[in-house]
Amino acid sequence: MIKRIKEIYAYRTMIYSLVKRDLKGRYKGSVLGFLWTFINPLFQLLIYTFVFSIVLHSDVKDYYMFLFVALIPWIFFSTSLAGGSTCITSQKNMVQKIYFPREVLPISFVTSQFVNMLLSFIVIFAVMLIARYTFNPLALLCLIPVMLTEYILALGFTFILSAVTVYFQDMQFIMGILTMAWQFLSPIMYSQERVPVEFRAIYMYVNPMAPIIIAYRDILYYGRVPELATLLSALLMGILLFVIGWITFDKMQKHFVEEM
Amino acid sequence: MKPENAIEVHNITKKFKVYLDKGHTLKERTLFSKRRKFENREVLKGISFEVKKGEAIGLIGHNGCGKSTTLKMLTKIMYPDSGTIEMNGRVSSLIELGAGFHPDMSGRENIYINASIFGLTKKEIEERIDSIIEFSELEDFIDNPVRTYSSGMYMRLAFAVAINVDADILLIDEILAVGDVAFQAKCFNRLRQIKSEGTTIVIVSHSLSQLELICDRSIWIHEGVIKEEGAPFDVHPKYMSFMANNTLSKAKDKQDKKKEESKKEEKKAVEEKPEEAKTEEAAENTEETKKPEDSNRWGSNEIVMNSVTVTDEKGVERDTFLNTEPIYINIGYDNPGKIDNSVVGVAIYRDDKVHIYGTNTLIDMSKTLPLKDKGTITLILDRIPVNAGNYIFDLAFHKPDGFNYDFWRDVFRLRINNVKGEAGAISIEHSWKSE
Repeated sequence: MIKRIKEIYAYRTMIYSLVKRDLKGRYKGSVLGFLWTFINPLFQLLIYTFVFSIVLHSDVKDYYMFLFVALIPWIFFSTSLAGGSTCITSQKNMVQKIYFPREVLPISFVTSQFVNMLLSFIVIFAVMLIARYTFNPLALLCLIPVMLTEYILALGFTFILSAVTVYFQDMQFIMGILTMAWQFLSPIMYSQERVPVEFRAIYMYVNPMAPIIIAYRDILYYGRVPELATLLSALLMGILLFVIGWITFDKMQKHFVEEM
Repeated sequence: MKPENAIEVHNITKKFKVYLDKGHTLKERTLFSKRRKFENREVLKGISFEVKKGEAIGLIGHNGCGKSTTLKMLTKIMYPDSGTIEMNGRVSSLIELGAGFHPDMSGRENIYINASIFGLTKKEIEERIDSIIEFSELEDFIDNPVRTYSSGMYMRLAFAVAINVDADILLIDEILAVGDVAFQAKCFNRLRQIKSEGTTIVIVSHSLSQLELICDRSIWIHEGVIKEEGAPFDVHPKYMSFMANNTLSKAKDKQDKKKEESKKEEKKAVEEKPEEAKTEEAAENTEETKKPEDSNRWGSNEIVMNSVTVTDEKGVERDTFLNTEPIYINIGYDNPGKIDNSVVGVAIYRDDKVHIYGTNTLIDMSKTLPLKDKGTITLILDRIPVNAGNYIFDLAFHKPDGFNYDFWRDVFRLRINNVKGEAGAISIEHSWKSE
């Protein structure tokens, strides 16, 4: 395993250039170019504000912000899963012909989604500043471990899904449906307090995304340090899935080329 | 692993599941699980070989014999079912060119992407980027997006990256046909240079002449086992004559099969398709038993050389010449196939198998020679400017595309003697001047 990590480290330039290619290449040729990275979340935010503040009145104060701070991390997670499941099969040519540690592909895909999320956070911070939200420095510091936890979790899932998709192409479509259901089963559009008490334990500890979303909202919307229990359970689940994901991936990758 | 070896392959085997009808989706996998028949095809049945450091070897064999699979396992794209592969040093493969190229990005940016896929770090790429750009001859276009490149420019850039990835072991699969003739020659020279710097090279190619130019050894893989191994000069003729016989007997078998089929159809009006696999197997068995008549000679026999004589200008047959004398090679031929588009070629080797010279009528006159049903062609060599030694001559009648009517290796040998005691491989016209 140590040897494997060393090898992936040796291919760090490949990860870097694939991420760069993805980010730079995505909007190449369009007039606004890289600005689209900011325009997308900004318009999303405007639409939510219109719908939830003017059309559908919600009891929650600043519901658009309540939703937005959870939605941006969720979009990172769900695109990592839905799009990441094809990150091996879509690079068929490369995988069949060139040797490189296969982990590079899921890692660069998730990393490029992650960078995208970080850029969207600029929009969040800008809106927070304009709407005169209080910035709690200690809480903001907690954002780093929360983001890293989500990154590890997303990577773990993408490892499994991308490997399974090679053997079983339906996985990518199944994931499209599954992430939609998952979104409604996570405290994104509503607060976890709305979940009946008898289900809350299952709700919180079966879904690894629940504590992560709650932590984001605590930090950004409420401006408070998340509970340690929330952080720890998120971290544990993240590490667990990452390890399982990597081991699964490593087992399956030996026969990628034959199965494609 | 022995210290002098770069690669050791021990008894590797590989089976593939060949799905007759592969189901990839859930519906196909569950509902039609019985329909998903597959057969295990043994591609490699135990191959072992060693490659010494700095050695260049070629893997040859017909399509599907397992040579590309072997190379893929050396690259670690695939893993053997049993057996081991040991490699010593950094491995780089020239199997796919231009991997990861993004059409909208500049040539320079794509060099970074492509080279990083070969495992180079940013620092290593920066060290090489100038020589990559220089080699690609694209200095003026390097900051334009790759989509504006012609396909030739694209391949040149891709090859320039690949060939500049320094490695201890270089694996190459059939990619030397890149760009125009001048660029091909450049690639080839670079490959030679890499070899002379001590890099171990393994090449899979159908171009035997290319292999002969660069490889020290050829390994002929046939149906998953090594059939023959040795100097390209010795192995290739055997391979060629085997292949020629193969095609002939296959064609004959097909005719036989057709006859049989028509007979069967006469007897039974309604019958399912014959099991092709079985008949093919039978065909292959007959091939195995047939021995090539002369392993130095192969072709379709539509034109046959029946007599070859070597004379001096007076018409006296000789086998020893001075390196200043003209040599007349008279080739008598029969042309039962009434072929009128044959190229006539000659190749000269020194007896230690160094390729000295080769030419043909297509190169010399950019046309084929008019042939009669029977006749003689005379090739006049004004002199052979080599130094003393024994020289081997190959002659061939072939199509412009390389298909052989009659290829004859080692038709005759000549002893060439020096007039003076010059040293070296060739004799250069020269004069001295003193002021």
